[in-house]
Amino acid sequence: MAKIDEVRSKVETGKTKLVPGLVQEALDEGSKPADILGAMVGAMSVVGDKFSSGEIFVPEMLIAAKAMAKGVEVLKPYLSGETSVSLGTCVIGTVHGDLHDIGKNLVAMMIESAGFTMVDLGVDVPAEKFIQAIKENENVKLVACSGLLTTTMPAMKDTVEKLKGSGLAGFKVMVGGAPVTQAYAIEIGADAYAPDAGSAAVRAKGLVAAA
Amino acid sequence: MLTAKQNLLETIRGGNPDRFVNQYEFLELIVFMPGFKYPLQPGVTVKDDWGITFTFPEGQIGGFPLHDDEHKVLKDISQWEDVVKPPVLDTSDEAWAPAMEIANSVNRDDKFVTACQMPGVFEMTHHMMGMEDALMALYEEPDCMHGLIERVTDFELKRAAMIVDRIQPNALFHHDDWGGQISTFISPNMFKEFFLASYKKIYKFWKDNGVELIIHHSDSYAATLVPFMIEMGIDIWQGAMTTNNIPRLIEKYGSQISFMGGIDSGEVDFPKWTPEICAEHVERICRSCGKHYFIPNLTQGLNFSSFPGVYEEVSVQIDKMSKKMF
Ligand code: B12
Repeated sequence: MAKIDEVRSKVETGKTKLVPGLVQEALDEGSKPADILGAMVGAMSVVGDKFSSGEIFVPEMLIAAKAMAKGVEVLKPYLSGETSVSLGTCVIGTVHGDLHDIGKNLVAMMIESAGFTMVDLGVDVPAEKFIQAIKENENVKLVACSGLLTTTMPAMKDTVEKLKGSGLAGFKVMVGGAPVTQAYAIEIGADAYAPDAGSAAVRAKGLVAAA
Repeated sequence: MLTAKQNLLETIRGGNPDRFVNQYEFLELIVFMPGFKYPLQPGVTVKDDWGITFTFPEGQIGGFPLHDDEHKVLKDISQWEDVVKPPVLDTSDEAWAPAMEIANSVNRDDKFVTACQMPGVFEMTHHMMGMEDALMALYEEPDCMHGLIERVTDFELKRAAMIVDRIQPNALFHHDDWGGQISTFISPNMFKEFFLASYKKIYKFWKDNGVELIIHHSDSYAATLVPFMIEMGIDIWQGAMTTNNIPRLIEKYGSQISFMGGIDSGEVDFPKWTPEICAEHVERICRSCGKHYFIPNLTQGLNFSSFPGVYEEVSVQIDKMSKKMF
């Protein structure tokens, strides 16, 4: 098997200790850095699909994302010379009053592995902080808001309203979290909703491509 | 009319209940005993006996363990043996008096004196190091995790022995959330590898020591873990969310385990709740699950609601359904 294919399969199975070495070997074999990155992104999208379909669980997803991150560390010095491969910046956070972050972190990992530059604001994020992050970071194409409590759904609505009314432009707003539905997303004026981390990454790419 | 206890037993044995078991009515829950420390009001921060800090911010509906650098108990799983120190529990009569007083006041023919254990073994692992570290360690440091889980289990058994000695409970209400709303946190195989043996030990100990009824709380999806629940000796799974397709579980496993829940707290227990919403959810679940092996109940893991009135309203609606269906 070519080393680049091994990178792909070992990211998929979350072999955090093996991936860095394999990335180096793939480079030594002459694979292009961008192709190796592409292989890893491909692996993560397989991981995302398997998570969406219930074939794998949170630990498998975390470990795959960690394996990819370790691979990217090796790859970074080789990538920096090439033109930016980022699809844009995505600002993500859990809305004000809500401290759940497992789902949000999975979503962030998947969106990152799809090719976005992530700015993670953490949990309990007020609307103003989302707005500030859009101003402070370059090329923000997407704002992703997570909420797990029915009691913080009003905060999500408020956040979306303030983002849309901020006068800033060039970005789309995506929302999600267990109590959020497609219907609710539409009701509060968000641009997109996704039910899980795998489909969030797919949606994110679609939104930016359509913009 | 049957007593709450008789009616419960008829329900979970597939006998002749004369009404729906109404939520937690058959249990006298004893929560406050040495080994339980958790903030119960907004504005309170508590450090438990293991060193885990929980905070309950103003304006929130519950407490939360802190995992920033300053507060995380276990920063590196490989150090668990040195870092994770099982607490020494208070054995004084004063510390146990409140629990004993409740236990002594209960008519045990009517209700089950019920010991509460929270958090559970899985929850302990993520309270100590954060969910992500805990889940990844199952892959990266399985031996450490087995060791840590054993230590937590041993401590639980010690506390169980003290509780048995002091209040002779007839039932156990044991918390451990094993999933989110549409899937379990870990795969059934991984669950079996890491947690099944611990829980078999724990639940056997209680049963060997006078407990007739094991109620396990996990307000989540966990349908795929039901065979393990049966194997470890759970009599009632409390917190079963509608996403589990409870009617199907009853059909498949009803004679071996009963299901308590079916009214998802998130959908019913919120600031703008109404009696109509409660009624709708109660009616739907009572009609679809029927009279055996099922107890209609909010999925929340104690006998109250986040928003005042919801728990009581759900009880009223369950009584109405009893009148219609029995
Ligand atoms: C784990 C958990 C906790 C952990 C959180 C750890 C952490 N670091 O996040 C702890 C124990 C700390 C905790 C605390 C609390 N919790 Co809690 N918690 C849960 C639990 C069991 C699982 C949530 C979870 O992680 N699911 C797994 C992840 C992978 O799924 P997910 O979050 O849904 O995310 C996926 C999708 O929704 C989506 N997604 C998520 N975000 C986004 C964002 C975007 C943009 C997109 C596109 C998609 C997307 O993709 C994700 C991955 O596929 C749920 C119960 C349940 N059955 O869901 C309760 C639950 C959410 N908690 C609840 C409550 C009440 C609390 C507390 C207030 C009280 C308490 N002690 O229980 C405090 C919270 C304080 C606060 N202000 O936030 C309630 C909420 C009820 C309600 N009214 O809404 C629940 C439903 C349990 C219940 N009692 O019914 N909790």
